[in-house]
Amino acid sequence: MIKLTWQYIPFQNDVAFLQIKQTEISQIPFYYPVFYVHVYSAIFVLLAGFLQLSSTILKRYPVLHRNMGRFYVLVVLFLSAPSGLFIGFFANGGFFSKISFVTLSILWFYFTLKGFTVIKNKNITAHRAFMLRSFALTFSAVTLRLWKVILVYLFHPAPMDVYQIIAWLGWVPNLLIIEYYLYNQLKK
Amino acid sequence: MKKLFCLLLSILLFSCNSKEKKTAKKSAENLPKEIRTDLYGSWVGDFVVLTRDTTQPIKERYSNKINLIIKKITESEVIGQSVVAGNNRPLKGTMTKEGNTTHFILKEPGDDKNDGVFDFIVENDTLITGTWTANNPKKEVSKRKFELFKKEFKYDATVMLPDDSMYVDYENPQERETTENTEEIEEGETPQTYVENVYREASESIFKINSSTKKLKEADVKNLKKIDLEILRNTIFARHGFSFKTKTVRQFFDSVEWYIPVATNVDNELSATEKENIALLKRFEKYAEDNYDSFGR
Repeated sequence: MIKLTWQYIPFQNDVAFLQIKQTEISQIPFYYPVFYVHVYSAIFVLLAGFLQLSSTILKRYPVLHRNMGRFYVLVVLFLSAPSGLFIGFFANGGFFSKISFVTLSILWFYFTLKGFTVIKNKNITAHRAFMLRSFALTFSAVTLRLWKVILVYLFHPAPMDVYQIIAWLGWVPNLLIIEYYLYNQLKK
Repeated sequence: MKKLFCLLLSILLFSCNSKEKKTAKKSAENLPKEIRTDLYGSWVGDFVVLTRDTTQPIKERYSNKINLIIKKITESEVIGQSVVAGNNRPLKGTMTKEGNTTHFILKEPGDDKNDGVFDFIVENDTLITGTWTANNPKKEVSKRKFELFKKEFKYDATVMLPDDSMYVDYENPQERETTENTEEIEEGETPQTYVENVYREASESIFKINSSTKKLKEADVKNLKKIDLEILRNTIFARHGFSFKTKTVRQFFDSVEWYIPVATNVDNELSATEKENIALLKRFEKYAEDNYDSFGR
């Protein structure tokens, strides 16, 4: 993922993904800066989110967990999720994938916000649940791309057909897995 | 005095004039007379392998479309041009009459490693048949034969690839490992893995989108695979009679009826729409190349 982000440094309006987004860049004001906000912020969210899963950090360095958590919440709520919503409106693959990315960004925002407010009320179980949901959606950045490689290898579909599928396959199964996990925890 | 001056001037002018006329007449008389101008023009057809050195790796295609252009015929000299597989060569040679057959021997300059000699006859004034022999006998393909018909090249932006054939890239197979279906294997046998070739195939879009007349938008080409983009871009060049060097491209256009290779550079002939489409298609080809089957978007 770091390598993927690296393609976009320094700022350029015609690299990688943006090669096929020239219409949006020239016609939609702010598309280009918002896209960059999304790309640059998301990589930190992904890294911070990973580290937050570690129980060692949580037990031994609770202050670090709290600070990194604030960073995660702040970046998602103010940068990554709103920018995701904006570029989601102009997503490739038409209505079918647009609705997926828009839903994704709203849920992402909601889970992250919830995870933050419940811990303010010291509700650790709910905090854990919402933050796991939030990270399941954060992790869709990785799973979406993995699904793409698998689908292309197996079926050689047209590029935007893949895109419509991975738009959903990227995050829905992630969320279902987490919900199943939480459900099992609840039973214990 | 003035009158005299005028008279002198006019005589001078007149004399100059007549002199020039004479020299012009003389050079015209010196030029050898052009004959058989009815044979002038493009002769087009398949350039097919006759002798191939099978000990060498196969690089050359069995058949390439050739355009043999006859430009000038006199008693002593014939001037022409051959355009095939991205090679544009001047030809020089002779025409002889043997009974009822007209026999040509035309040589490529010889300063290129692929140069050779064309040897052909004209049948019924409508068909050219003959062979080409490479100067270098150790060349992979040292002899080719051809049957050519007279065809005139004309740019037509509306021509499309015929939709009655499949456009499959046989030149670039992708190897893929497959394991035998375990159900079909008898007990005791281990399933065998073998390598299978997978070929890229173009979609129907290449029959629907005219890349020369329609100003393409990103939305028009977003859902196309790399092979579609390549074909759409190269169809523009094919319409202008570009002779393709790459085998991958030739396999798609050589069999197309309207396609006649006439030049190895058509950049100055491209229309504004075509230029913009080429840039757009190239951008998408690059994106497809970098991203289609890799981790990323």
